[in-house]
Amino acid sequence: MTIRILLVDDHPIVRQGLRTLLEGRPGWEVIGEASDGLEAVDKVNQLNPDVMVLDITMPRMNGLEACRVLRQKAPELEILFVTQHDSPQMMREALDAGARGYVVKSNAARDLLEAVETVSQHRVFTALHRRDSVNSC
Amino acid sequence: MLSQLAEDTRNPRGDVMKLRILLADDHEIVRRGLCALLQKHEGWEVVGEATDGREAVEKAKQLKPDVVILDVGMPNLNGLDATRQLLQYDPNFKVIVLTITDSDQVIREALDAGARGFVLKSDAARDLVSAVDALQHKRMFFTPRVNDLVLAGFLDKGHVMSKSEPPSLPTLTAREREITQLLAEGKSSKEVASLLNLSTKTVETHRSNIMRKLSFHSIRDLVVYAIKNNIIQIEMPPQIKTPPTGSPAA
Repeated sequence: MTIRILLVDDHPIVRQGLRTLLEGRPGWEVIGEASDGLEAVDKVNQLNPDVMVLDITMPRMNGLEACRVLRQKAPELEILFVTQHDSPQMMREALDAGARGYVVKSNAARDLLEAVETVSQHRVFTALHRRDSVNSC
Repeated sequence: MLSQLAEDTRNPRGDVMKLRILLADDHEIVRRGLCALLQKHEGWEVVGEATDGREAVEKAKQLKPDVVILDVGMPNLNGLDATRQLLQYDPNFKVIVLTITDSDQVIREALDAGARGFVLKSDAARDLVSAVDALQHKRMFFTPRVNDLVLAGFLDKGHVMSKSEPPSLPTLTAREREITQLLAEGKSSKEVASLLNLSTKTVETHRSNIMRKLSFHSIRDLVVYAIKNNIIQIEMPPQIKTPPTGSPAA
């Protein structure tokens, strides 16, 4: 299954890590990157991705605000948060803003592929507070 | 570059040896990004990874890497205390610290701990290769802000670098700092004892000493202290909208 993905995080090194992971899956394509919410809104308009992987804490416009804006402008887009905030309250806020998935950054390497696959099928994926594991690069 | 590398790093048989790097960050996704960045460089090899400072110290002792890259904000043992432990064990370790903030205090602590490189995480994609390259060639690498602070400290015999200025954690021993971090992360005395191979009674004695030295009466005070002194780091979330109180149930 082909999935076109937009990555949004203010740290290039995190985007690189996410890209490395996602591009290992045949048929999945990272079609663009953005470093804050405003840029993400622009890139969604330009590129029309299937799934957006979105951080919460970012400069200029945070991920929650971007999610609310895009829920109106791009209803077909599926939004998956990948965030440092391991909090049920924040997860609730993200889902209320219109996201379909929520993954904690410390577990992203393990949960991300399943999460992207799930939200791309318009189903909900959430995961909080699990242990990270060490895999060599 | 390659000829310089060859001159610097030949083994006794004359083969060019790779620069061996140990990487420590609690987020695997960040390690993957850093690995992808470093592995692009011919002649460099990531020989090990660690998810916290304690594991980094153990792996560094085992693997004896040429360069150790340590995130500051890691669980169990933060990157600054891991740097101190590593350099106490062997002053020849070359450490680069990765940090989300270049506050004066973090810079001062990183320099005091003996780090030879200081890179902001947000700039790692741009600066980390330069930092490793600098250490490989027996130089140091600091962000422009660190350089400015060091220079300012030198010029005015410094606010930043002065030896007469009391350190930010004047009263805690290395062991007490370790225990402070673990308690501030929410671990019980029993869990701390298990992690550090100590008896629960010993941990409780340390805990009492820490609270007495700092004149604290609650764990809450200790958590605030740990955050203020970069023993633990937290990322503040954006403000969440709370529903108005007293609204009728749906």
